Amino acid sequence: MTSNDEIYYREGLPVPETPAKDSSPEFWKQTNIIGKPLPRVDAYERVSGTAVYPSDILLPNMIYGAILRCPHPHARVKRIDIAEAEKMNGVRAIITGESRAAKNVKWKYRKQQVPLFDPHCRFEGEVVAAVAADSWYQARDATRAIKVDYEILEFVADYEHALDASAAKVQEQGNLLNEEKYSRGDTEKGFAEADVVLEQTYHTPCELHTPMELHGCVANWERDRLTVWESSQGVYGVQSRIAEALDLPLSKVRAAGHYMGGGFGSKLWPGKYTVLCALLAKKTARPVKMLLSREETCLCVGNRPANTMRIKAGTKKDGTLTALEFDCSGPSGAFPAGGAQLVDWLVRDLYQCANVRTRSRDVLINAGPARPFRAPGHPQGAWALEQMIDSLAEKINMDPVQLRLKNIPLKSQAREGNPPYTTTGLRQCLERGAEEFGWQTAAERIRKHNGQDSHLKRGIGVGACLWIAGGGGPPSTVIIKLYKDGSMNLNMGASDVGTGTKTIMAQVAAEELGVNPSVIQIEHADTATTQYATPSGGSKTVPTEAPAVRNAAISLKRELISMAAEDLQIDKNELVFIGDEIVWTKNNETRIKITEVSTLQKRGEVIGVGYRGPNPADKVVNPFAAHFCELEVNTLTGEILILRFLGVHDSGRVMNRLTFDNQVYGGIVMGIGFGLTEFRQLDERQTGKLCNKNWHDYKLPTALDVPLAMTSLPVELDDPESNNTGAKGLGEPVTIPTAAAIANALNMATGVRFTRAPVLPMEVIRQLSKKNEG
Amino acid sequence: MLPKFSYVRPDKLDKAVKYLERDHAAIHAGGTDLLGCLREGIMDSSLLVSISGLKDLVGIKETGNGGLRIGSLTTITEVAENRMIAKKYPGLARGAAEVASPQLRNQGTLGGNLCQKPRCWYYRGEFHCLRKGGERCFAVKGENQFHAIFGHDNICVITHPSDTAPVLVALKAKVNVVGPEDKRTIAIEDLHVSPTDNVQAETVLKQGEIITHIILPAPSRNLYTTYRKIRARRAWDFALAGVALALVMDGERVVRASVVLSGAAPVPWRSTESEQVLTGKILSPETIRKAARAAVADAEPCRAINTRWICSGACSKKNCIKPEAPDRYEQGIGQRRSCFCRIGRQAAAPGALRLCTTR
Repeated sequence: MTSNDEIYYREGLPVPETPAKDSSPEFWKQTNIIGKPLPRVDAYERVSGTAVYPSDILLPNMIYGAILRCPHPHARVKRIDIAEAEKMNGVRAIITGESRAAKNVKWKYRKQQVPLFDPHCRFEGEVVAAVAADSWYQARDATRAIKVDYEILEFVADYEHALDASAAKVQEQGNLLNEEKYSRGDTEKGFAEADVVLEQTYHTPCELHTPMELHGCVANWERDRLTVWESSQGVYGVQSRIAEALDLPLSKVRAAGHYMGGGFGSKLWPGKYTVLCALLAKKTARPVKMLLSREETCLCVGNRPANTMRIKAGTKKDGTLTALEFDCSGPSGAFPAGGAQLVDWLVRDLYQCANVRTRSRDVLINAGPARPFRAPGHPQGAWALEQMIDSLAEKINMDPVQLRLKNIPLKSQAREGNPPYTTTGLRQCLERGAEEFGWQTAAERIRKHNGQDSHLKRGIGVGACLWIAGGGGPPSTVIIKLYKDGSMNLNMGASDVGTGTKTIMAQVAAEELGVNPSVIQIEHADTATTQYATPSGGSKTVPTEAPAVRNAAISLKRELISMAAEDLQIDKNELVFIGDEIVWTKNNETRIKITEVSTLQKRGEVIGVGYRGPNPADKVVNPFAAHFCELEVNTLTGEILILRFLGVHDSGRVMNRLTFDNQVYGGIVMGIGFGLTEFRQLDERQTGKLCNKNWHDYKLPTALDVPLAMTSLPVELDDPESNNTGAKGLGEPVTIPTAAAIANALNMATGVRFTRAPVLPMEVIRQLSKKNEG
Repeated sequence: MLPKFSYVRPDKLDKAVKYLERDHAAIHAGGTDLLGCLREGIMDSSLLVSISGLKDLVGIKETGNGGLRIGSLTTITEVAENRMIAKKYPGLARGAAEVASPQLRNQGTLGGNLCQKPRCWYYRGEFHCLRKGGERCFAVKGENQFHAIFGHDNICVITHPSDTAPVLVALKAKVNVVGPEDKRTIAIEDLHVSPTDNVQAETVLKQGEIITHIILPAPSRNLYTTYRKIRARRAWDFALAGVALALVMDGERVVRASVVLSGAAPVPWRSTESEQVLTGKILSPETIRKAARAAVADAEPCRAINTRWICSGACSKKNCIKPEAPDRYEQGIGQRRSCFCRIGRQAAAPGALRLCTTR
């Protein structure tokens, strides 16, 4: 017991009652720490540069790895000559498909198993050889000195022609990877009942993740145990994949990645590079660091597939949606990766509609396989559906917000048995958003403005969404360890991918234990020292981990009470935990400071273990949102200036207002990129190679492309059924309806439906010229 | 990845010139473009000659006749913020301010900005294109939405990346050049090289030559200058289209007009068509619209794929490739410009399929 222990403790914070064993904790009606705009617990580390990212790791005797990649979209490796490269200064090891080290090593692209080195290279960037050398430069130089004879094969890069009879085959079985059909009701009947039926085709571009920190890892062997520090969204995913590839017991692979500089879905699992790094480290008996170049990350660690979507929709004059038909296709790349996956989900489930039919076709092309990208499928689907809803509203002369409000579902229509949502905040998002945004007055103001003789036209637009996941769920195990001086470790396997997970977990534990979050040190994202967790993706990290943290805190309180019962010689059921002390309910004079509990002092620590409980049976936990945007179009130059943006989100309880708003702003920025500036360009008609694999040609929005006036408005609905914290996911819905809201605003400003993203200035001018020509 | 190179930093101009005469020597001024070119392997330079030690090449001075003399090592930021420039040639300040990003403007120099390598993604990428000694321009039939619509003759469809060059051309500025043999002065209008003349050079500078100063003539009375740039995003991007204007006015009437386009052609592209519309006219919205239309009336965007150019075969202009050589025409190596007749041009919307219907 130290004299300054007061700084740790209560500071007058009421502590929630400790529930009896096997009973669930009560829903927090009021919170003291949760929801507060608490700065990040690791802000100093991140800003000062003391945080050690995998890219920062430097081990004694460490050397560097580099990969030689196939420069063609489709080729067969005939011969590899490493003789010259081997002789180069500093080169320690070269492995190719011929090397003993790599002979039987396999890799899995999703479910398809392939050799680590496949002479049949199906996309530009597939691995051909790997080098380890004393410096990164020497390693790169050596890859260039390797001579490879390729048999260049016919390729297909344009997914819209991938199913043509004349198209080159990416895989032997043909280019149609998967066709998924869904239907409910009778769309023919639905269209017959409609007063208005519209049909339109929409396109969205292939988007690259380009996280700030490059993909890569450091691998080190201590005898037969491998440690991999990987820039990753989930260390357990790294562990299992690498153990599988190298045929090692899980216990012999330690994966860690305490900090990471962005992933957006592209770091949910490791890559072939991780395996190569481990093999090079083994062969050289040195730690090896392997960071991909920016160009490599653009080629081969994922993308959001481009999509073509045909949508047909019918509505009655009163705004009742009668039928929706949706046909979409998209490329997985050269291996199964979900090219059209979830693109139709919003059509299936966002609005009340009895008759829905969708078809999604996933095709193969000779390009890098896709990986999940922040809300896979959803922003694409929203681009089509949310524009179509606006078109319908225009046709039946109804306000687009009203049309959406008319069709709010309370049940998930697309799921078996139509389970209800625990909460559906869609109505509140639209209503409160329209009010906050000044939807009606803005519309009037803009109509007046656009009536003037000016080349600057304004528009407002709305887009709504839900996110298919975001409820979280088991498994998750969290341990909270109380040291004898009263300080704590919170131990969890999940990664903080930059969203503020650690901060929120500290808040949850602090809330339940009634302590200041600063006493809680977080240990996370290390398979050797923390508990199993699924990767941080799907907007599920908070709703998955937070309830387990709360349970761990409760378990810790129970443990302490039991120990205190021995010291006080009082039945533990008559004791309560009030933060720094345990008190007898019958006489509060009888109390003991927790740091004075003798068992704690003897053992040095006490542990609380929490597990994530099941989700509510027969109910669905989904977040909902609506985005509102105002913009100005220069009809002479095609320039688009976003004036303001409002993101309204029902993600259950707001755990931390700062990190909440951060997600909303970040999602809007990403959505602006999706709608206006970003696209991957393949040289489809000539070489099939990637044209824009750098940050100049691949155009992320800059600070000047983003409005200063961004507002985040949470719709905080009590959702006690979702989980014991009431939090739903947020990180993905924040970027789903953004681009569609922009497109709808563009339509108001110009009278043109921009069906093809991104809407660059030339696209604006092209469409306006078309319109003016009639 | 950067290749191996030697690096020297001479303190005298003549020494720098001596170094630059060597094979595979390249000038390092601000380095913002050079490092990228080296990393992308599009320049084969084993000797980098830093000229940052040449102090005479920095700074902006008024000349005797009221013009300006700008050292080629003056940063873009300095050009954008200098008071004399802002007063005499606001269009140049504007052009400089539109360059790249603040960090790049702080590092990049005016001389370097004039001598930039093109930004074509084929040229910068792993494509052995015509400009790099290969056999063809990939952009002609490839992904050319950011490429030239003037002056390319389907040989090489790069656009010139500079934002300051068009303004300097409009202002009739010159560069002083020092080389192994002699000094010379080149009008900036003549500094850049059309692919028709030499597809592998961007400027007329010879091995060993250094731009030392940019000389601006004294501004005429009633000179108005400006620069407007459109890009795919609002910062850190090159022009999709831009225009530098220098107008000498008499009241509301245009006495003399210089209209130079950026992002439009392999060189800063002077639009004489637009200048003709403006000259002598009252500067009304209608005149401006006409001038804008005239500026793109003769535009020749690369063909959309599968678009066939059909010549009726009776084009009177020399160099017209007649139907007997359709292959050559299809390949885009013909002098396409000369094949257009007025009728064909007027009948077609920009970017649409156009037929040469000369009879």
